[in-house]
Amino acid sequence: MRSKFVLSAPVFVLALGLAGCGGSTGGAGSGATPTDCSSSETFCVGLVTDGSKIDDKSFNQAAWAGVQKAKDSLGAYVRYIEPAEAKDYAASIKQFTDQKYDVVITVGFLTADPTVAAAAQNPGTKFIGVDQLLDTEKVKSPNLTGLTFPADQAGYAVGYLAGLLTKTGKVGAINGLEIPPVQKYFKGYEAGAKASNPKVEVVGVYHPAGGQPFNDPVWGAGEAKKQLSQGVDVIFGIGSNTGNGALNEVAKSSGAGTTRFCIGVDVDQWGTLPEARPCLVTSAEKLISDGVAELLGQAGDGTLKGGNFLGKTGISQFHDFDDKIPADVKAKVEDVVKKLADGSLQTNVVL
Amino acid sequence: MAGIVTWQFRHLLAIGTPLLILIAAYLFYFVDQTVATSMCANAWFFAVPLVLGALTGVIGERSGVVNIGIEGQMLTAAFASFFTAAATKSLVAGVAAGILAGVAMGAFLAWTTVTARMDQIIAGVAINIVATGITSFFYKSGAQLPVNMPQWNVPVLSKIPLIGETFFQTGPIALFALLIAPVLHFAMFRTRWGLRTRAIGEYPSAADTAGINVNRMRFVNVVLAGILAGAAGTYLSMEATSSFSRGMTAGRGFLALAIMIFGAWRPLRVVAAALFFGFANALASQLQGVVDIPQQFVTLLPYVLTLAVLAIAAGRVRAPAAEGVPFIKGEGQ
Amino acid sequence: MVPLVALAAAFSVGALLIRSQGVNPAYAYESLFSYALLDGSGLTATLQKVVPLVLCGLAVAIPLRLGLFNIGGQGQFMVGAIGAAAAAYALRSAPGIVTIIVTMVVGVLAGSMWASIAGLLKAARGVHEVISTIMLNSVAGGLIDWMLNGPLADEQVPYPASHAVPGSAQLPPIGVVPIGLPVAVTLAVATAWLLRRTTIGFRFETVGRNRYAASYAGISIRTTTVVAMGIAGGCAGLSGGIELVGVEPYRYQDGIAASLGFDGITIALLARGNPIGTIPAALLVAAMRAGAPHLALDTGLRPEIVDMVLAITLLFVSLPLVVKLIFRKHAAKGSQLASSWGA
Repeated sequence: MRSKFVLSAPVFVLALGLAGCGGSTGGAGSGATPTDCSSSETFCVGLVTDGSKIDDKSFNQAAWAGVQKAKDSLGAYVRYIEPAEAKDYAASIKQFTDQKYDVVITVGFLTADPTVAAAAQNPGTKFIGVDQLLDTEKVKSPNLTGLTFPADQAGYAVGYLAGLLTKTGKVGAINGLEIPPVQKYFKGYEAGAKASNPKVEVVGVYHPAGGQPFNDPVWGAGEAKKQLSQGVDVIFGIGSNTGNGALNEVAKSSGAGTTRFCIGVDVDQWGTLPEARPCLVTSAEKLISDGVAELLGQAGDGTLKGGNFLGKTGISQFHDFDDKIPADVKAKVEDVVKKLADGSLQTNVVL
Repeated sequence: MAGIVTWQFRHLLAIGTPLLILIAAYLFYFVDQTVATSMCANAWFFAVPLVLGALTGVIGERSGVVNIGIEGQMLTAAFASFFTAAATKSLVAGVAAGILAGVAMGAFLAWTTVTARMDQIIAGVAINIVATGITSFFYKSGAQLPVNMPQWNVPVLSKIPLIGETFFQTGPIALFALLIAPVLHFAMFRTRWGLRTRAIGEYPSAADTAGINVNRMRFVNVVLAGILAGAAGTYLSMEATSSFSRGMTAGRGFLALAIMIFGAWRPLRVVAAALFFGFANALASQLQGVVDIPQQFVTLLPYVLTLAVLAIAAGRVRAPAAEGVPFIKGEGQ
Repeated sequence: MVPLVALAAAFSVGALLIRSQGVNPAYAYESLFSYALLDGSGLTATLQKVVPLVLCGLAVAIPLRLGLFNIGGQGQFMVGAIGAAAAAYALRSAPGIVTIIVTMVVGVLAGSMWASIAGLLKAARGVHEVISTIMLNSVAGGLIDWMLNGPLADEQVPYPASHAVPGSAQLPPIGVVPIGLPVAVTLAVATAWLLRRTTIGFRFETVGRNRYAASYAGISIRTTTVVAMGIAGGCAGLSGGIELVGVEPYRYQDGIAASLGFDGITIALLARGNPIGTIPAALLVAAMRAGAPHLALDTGLRPEIVDMVLAITLLFVSLPLVVKLIFRKHAAKGSQLASSWGA
């Protein structure tokens, strides 16, 4: 046993040597300046993702973009954490609260419970829960704001457009998991399409549970292919990478952009998903980064109120399709968007 | 006498089953042309990576090396092919990089298990973890393929109703999968290479006595099988979609293992098993919202069906006898 | 000894990687482990991860004794957790202690039953356990999704989730020690005892070494198969139950199982199939996973770096050649865990 230890000793030494040779150059790593968030001068903002990555081309990325937007105007110090699993949400939030961050943003409905708990324990910190509808009967923390979006309205608007665009009379959607945030979009889409084109047939398919409902682009592509060959000519991809796979497939098919169209979700996917550009007429947007930036601005000047805050949704620019979509169609869609915004038009979506 | 009857019965099954399936498919085609075609095409679209992945496993296991690292091989290949194609603006370079990545992972598996005699399951698990680690560690968003992979219509064959649209209006890798399965089947059961491969997987010491270099052959086979895993990964990120996302294999490497066993380690049966799975998957999504039962039950269909088929048919399929065991010359086996 | 050397070697390679990203490796490791082991909430997070990792590791290690490869820890964990959630909801007005006991028992039984399906299919119909457990994982996922949207849904929650365990039955960590920790450690020790000192263990061992000799000696391979899978599933199911009553948010929701079933394979392999070995293996994996987000926050490194280091550790632990190079003697021949898929 002794000889074994002696033999292995050099390995340890090597390990320690390697570790040590960094010297002071590596020091605090890249940009990990020990900012003191407890002082009142530094405004610190921390963001906790829902387990997806910060560059997910969707929700987390948009929320982080909102933080970046507010960063300069507030002179804020901003950091994010990507928890690996659901168990880590509370510990991740605690890392920020322990360092006395001024605002903690949590993304996604899965992080709702730990956010509510943390808000109650840290009355001095402001919390913003993105896509978290608070039950205001039970949750009364004045330092917690839930930012939600009327996704059904965005779905309705793009559905209305889809109903006008379709030549085959069949429009489709490729969805992630069958959960309310996805259903809201889809049911809104269905209602919108039927409103503009009563004879339209709307088909939608949800990813099977288990596996990775929001990260299975190959499945999304396969389902899109199937819908296309069954005569669907407009496809709405709802569900992160799974939906992206569907949009990608439409973009690759023959007739993309002339007879076949696709619609993105959550953010303006013209920017996040360039490979879908050949067919991407527009995206149903939750204006997440705007919402986050607005709330952060309020937090900065101390006017942020607790409770639910309804963000805005909308449809993205038509980009290259601006001159391909008939003017009367554009006018009708604009009208619907306006009516949805001022409340004179209801989507009547019930989950 | 009984032997002849069994022999006849088995061959009847081997020819009869595909024939029955074909007839059923065409019946369906005549009932609803669009739905049948689109579902079959969807089934094959889904089955391609499973076929390639499962064949990777078949070659390995037939030679006596268990490969549960297919998932990792595929993921690495998907990563390498996509980012190479994006960086070099060349599809060919991308495909080559994907296949090379599969081969490299295969070589790694071969080196650890055949040369270093490491436990094969551990090696496979390590490959999976390393692949997940590397691909998410080095992933950068924003890359894009220069152009899409071509879609080919094979002359004449693509005009056949149903079959043409299903198998012959596809991209190059899907066509490759379609071609490689029968070739491999023939090679495995009708050539010297196949005989030797099966020998080193069943009874390596006898093969050794017969003058076969067991470990060298295992090494080469596992490396070559990497080509198929590489193609499977490339299919995922370049042909089925044109993007890479973290963990995009979504368990297909494990499903491929199941299909390899379902297909009884025989390449053609592997294709059938993968198609069955693909079709069940297509059926599940087709029935969503049509039949009035919870959506989840419909999506469970392929998995339950597979279990049921296996339990009923209970083909007492046997794995190659010597798989999982490193060969050490002069130590029986 | 071997694991320690392997660990040192893996950390050296990891150090190179970290260095290549422009971060001081010593600082990175210090940051990782000081948070995971010395910080109060970090230590709780680590220990909370240790519990399911040990149990799911056992769920793989036990069947491995007789050459069965249980990929189904994931499904067994999920079924155990949902069973526990259903039991806790049914007993919501019962005294806490009753709820806890019944919940645990239901969790164990549910997981055990789920694994036994694979065991029975194997014993009675020769269906390969790798296929059946992969299929059963997916079936569990679908059934649970339906339950969370239907019979077990908590309507108050705007996403699929079960009702929370009643407050009287919740078992938050005592100090930094999660309630499941003593249970998991005891079970690991008990399993070691079971495998080494009892007739059941002897049967497992005999079937694993030579099934023909075993059946010649009058050991029923079928019964042994079902029993081994049953015990394994019980461990995974218990883990699900503990997770439900011991970890926030005390309810079944998406992502509760994370990748535990597959992590169990890693643990079992790191421990080289030894039940006691699952404890240090789980501690290592848990500490690195728990520390990773902190590491990322502190240094800007991608958290996936810990997975790379773990994979390299796993390789070095099990590569006989490495052992041979270091010790200049014959590598252990008995490094085979599962001789084959088993026919």
